[in-house]
Amino acid sequence: MRLTCSIAVALVLLSGAARAEKDTLTIDLVADAATLDPQIQWDSESASVYRNIFDNLVTRDQSGKIVPQVATAWHYANDTTVVFDIRSDIKFQDGTKLTPDDVVFSVKRVTDPAFKSPQLSQFDQIVGAEVSGPSQVTLHTKTPYPVLLAQLTKLSVIPQATVQKLGDTAFNQHPLGSGPYKLRDWSRGVQITLDAQDGYWRGKPPFKTVIFRPVTDVSTRVADLRAGRADIVRGLGPDQAASLKTEKGLQLLGVPTERVAYIFINPQSGPTKDVRVRRAIAMAIDRDTIISALQQGYGKPVNEVLSPADFGYDPTIEPYPFDPDAARKLVKEAGAEGAELTFLTAPAYDRRLNEAVQQMLGDVGLKVSITMLDLPTYLKRRQGTPEEAGSISQGRWSCSCQDADGVIWPLFHTGSIWSKYSNPKFDAAVDSARATLDEKQRLADYHTAFEILREDVPAIGLFQDFAIYGARPQLKWTPTADEAFFVMDMHWQE
Amino acid sequence: MLRHLGSRLAQAAIASFGVLTIVFFVMRLSGDPTLLLVPEGASREQIAELRHELGFDRPLIVQYGAYLGDLLRLDLGESLVQRAPVATIVGHRIPYTLELAGGALIAALGIGLPAGVAMAVWRGGLIERGLAAIVLAGQSLPTFWSGILLILLFGVLLGWLPTSGADSLASLVMPSVALGALTMSTFARMTRIAVLDELQRDYVTAARARGLSLAATIARHVARNAAIPVVTVAALEIGNLLAGAVIVETVFAWPGIGQLAIQSIQARDFLVVQAIVLFVSLTYIGMNLLADLAYVAIDPRIRLAA
Repeated sequence: MRLTCSIAVALVLLSGAARAEKDTLTIDLVADAATLDPQIQWDSESASVYRNIFDNLVTRDQSGKIVPQVATAWHYANDTTVVFDIRSDIKFQDGTKLTPDDVVFSVKRVTDPAFKSPQLSQFDQIVGAEVSGPSQVTLHTKTPYPVLLAQLTKLSVIPQATVQKLGDTAFNQHPLGSGPYKLRDWSRGVQITLDAQDGYWRGKPPFKTVIFRPVTDVSTRVADLRAGRADIVRGLGPDQAASLKTEKGLQLLGVPTERVAYIFINPQSGPTKDVRVRRAIAMAIDRDTIISALQQGYGKPVNEVLSPADFGYDPTIEPYPFDPDAARKLVKEAGAEGAELTFLTAPAYDRRLNEAVQQMLGDVGLKVSITMLDLPTYLKRRQGTPEEAGSISQGRWSCSCQDADGVIWPLFHTGSIWSKYSNPKFDAAVDSARATLDEKQRLADYHTAFEILREDVPAIGLFQDFAIYGARPQLKWTPTADEAFFVMDMHWQE
Repeated sequence: MLRHLGSRLAQAAIASFGVLTIVFFVMRLSGDPTLLLVPEGASREQIAELRHELGFDRPLIVQYGAYLGDLLRLDLGESLVQRAPVATIVGHRIPYTLELAGGALIAALGIGLPAGVAMAVWRGGLIERGLAAIVLAGQSLPTFWSGILLILLFGVLLGWLPTSGADSLASLVMPSVALGALTMSTFARMTRIAVLDELQRDYVTAARARGLSLAATIARHVARNAAIPVVTVAALEIGNLLAGAVIVETVFAWPGIGQLAIQSIQARDFLVVQAIVLFVSLTYIGMNLLADLAYVAIDPRIRLAA
C-alpha cells in the first residue's frame, strides 16, 4: 500500500515535472550569438536570439508580406520620403515608453559610420530620419529606394535613454528592448537565458523561459534532440535530415528559403570567356540529380539566379535543359576540349557539390581543378580581378531582403565586386528597377535582366536552398523563407 | 636555483613575445575580417569604409606597434566581432578549460596508473593484452569519432550523462574521458615501463624474500621509485591538456578556450586569437618550468648535482 502511494506520488511529481518542462524551451544554436546588440552583428545565430528581445519597425507575416509592428502604417510623401505612424502603447522592458525618438535614434545609430556597424550597407540609402509628429517618424532616402521596407524588417528599435546611459559595450552585454522576451543572463559560450516579458503588447509569450545553447557540432545537436536535452535544434544539413526522417519521437521542419544556390561562371577570364563554354556548363550540370542525391530533396529547382521567395523571380524564364550531348558539341565547337577550369572554393561550401560539378563537367570534356582556400582568401580572390576569380565557383546567396535588387545587382552589375560581367543593357534594366517604386515596372525590368543573363550565362541558378530544423513533435511552428526565428510564433502542444 | 629560475623566466618572456609576433603577422597575411563581417551585397566603397573604421587600412607595422603599446598597458583590447573586452571574453572561458583539463588529468591518472601497474605485474598474460588493447585504443581513436560514440552510448542510448554543455559535474565526465584518453595511454605506458624496471631490482627481491606480499612491495617501495619519470611527464601533459582541447570542446559543446579559438580564427577575430595564443604559450612555458622544479624536488640527486 505504502509502495503504491509512493509510486502515485512519484507519478504526480513526474507529471508535474513534465508540465513544468513545457515552460522552458531549449534551443541548440550552431554557434554562440556574437552580439546581442541588434545593430552590430547580423549573422543568423545572433539574430535568432536578439530578434526575440526587440521589436522591429516592420516585419513579415507567414506569407512573406511586409506588415506593421512598431509602425502601424506608412505612406510615401514623395519618392524619397516615407512617413511612419508609430504605435504609442509599446513599452520597453524597463517600463519606459517606446517613442518616435527611439525610432529615429535607432536609424541614426546604425547608419552612423563611426558606430562601425557591419549592417551599415543595408541601411545606408537612408540619409535622414526625424520625428515629424507626436507619433510619427519620417525617413528620407538618397534616391527612390524600393527595397527600403524590406530592409526595415531588420531594423530593431532600441531604447535611446538606456543605450546612452549604459554605453555601447554595456548595452551589448545587457540589451533591453520592447520584444516578447527579456535577457536574464548571457554566459558567453555557455547559454543565453530569456524570460517572458509580462504584459507584452502583442500577447502572452508562449514559454516562460527560453534557453539558447551554442552546440557547434551537428552530430551533438542531433544527440541533444534525441536525448531530449534540446527542444529544437538549428542548422541541420540534408544528410542529418535524411537520417532523422524515419525516427519516431521527433520532427523535421524544413522550409525553402530566400537563399539561392548557384554556379558562378567567369565570362571575363579563362576558357569560360567563350559564351559557348558557359552554355555548355549550364547544360552539363544535372540539377535534378544534385537535388535528389546531394540535397536529399531539400532544394527546389530554380529557373534563374534568384529564389522564388524573392520579389522579381520570373517563372517564365526557361532554364537550360540537362543535355550532355549538346554540351559536348558546344565544347567541341568552341575548341575547348580538355580546357582546364579552376574551381575556387572554401570549406564553407558543400564539398560534394564541388566534386559532382567537377565530374559532370568532366563528362562533357572540360577539366576542372578544385582550389580549396580559407574563406577570407576565397572572398578576396572571388571579389578581386577577373583573372584572380577562377573559372567557376559555387555560392549560396541571400540578401536578407527578399528582393532581386539585393541579389542580381551585386552579383552581375558592372563594377560590383562580385561581378566579372559587364553588359550595359543588363545594367540599365537593374538600375531602372532600383530607381522606381512602381512594382509592375520593376517586374518588367527584372524580366529583361533575366533574359539577358540567360543569353550571357555569367552564372546559373541551381536550387532554392532549404533551412532545416529538428524539433520535438510537440513543438508547433512554421518556419519562413526569411529564416526568422521568432519564439512568439511557436507553441507547445502535448 | 633563483638564477636558474630567473633565466628560465627570461627565456619564457622571449618565447611568448616571439609567438605573439608570429601570430600577429600570420593571421593578417591572409586578409582581415572586414569581408566576413559585411552583408553579401556590400559594395567596394562600403567595405573600404568599414575597413577604415576598424583600422585595418593602416600599415601592418603601425597596427603592430599599437597592439604592443596596448599590451604593455595590459590592455588586450576589444573584440571587433563580439564588441566586448577581450580580457572578459577569454577570462570567462579559462575556468572551463581548467576544469576540463583537471577532469581529464584525474581520468588519465585514475585509469592510466593502475592500468600501467597491472600491465607490468601481469606481464604477458591475458590482463596485459586486454589492457594493452584499451591503451592502444585511447591512443589511436580520434576524439571527434570516439566523442560522438561516447555521446551516443552514454547520452542517448543509456541516458546516464548529459549529451552536451557544461552545466553540471555529470556533464564533465564524458569530455574528461575523451580528452584524457591520450594522456591516460601515455601514463599507462610510462608506468608499465617504470614499474617493470623497478620490479627487476634487488630491493624488490629482498622485500619479497622477507615475506612481503607483491601488493605491499609495490605500494611501499616500487610506486615511489617509479613515480619520478611519471610525475615529470604529468607536468608536461597538463600543458597539452590545456592547449589540446579544441576538438573535444567542439564535440561536447564545452565552452573552453579551444572552442573560442576555433570560432575566433574562423571569424578573423584577431585580438581574441592573440590573447588565447598568449595564454596557451604562457601555460606551456609555465608547465615546463614546473616540470623542471618538480624533477628537482622529487630526485634529491639532481638537487645535489645543481
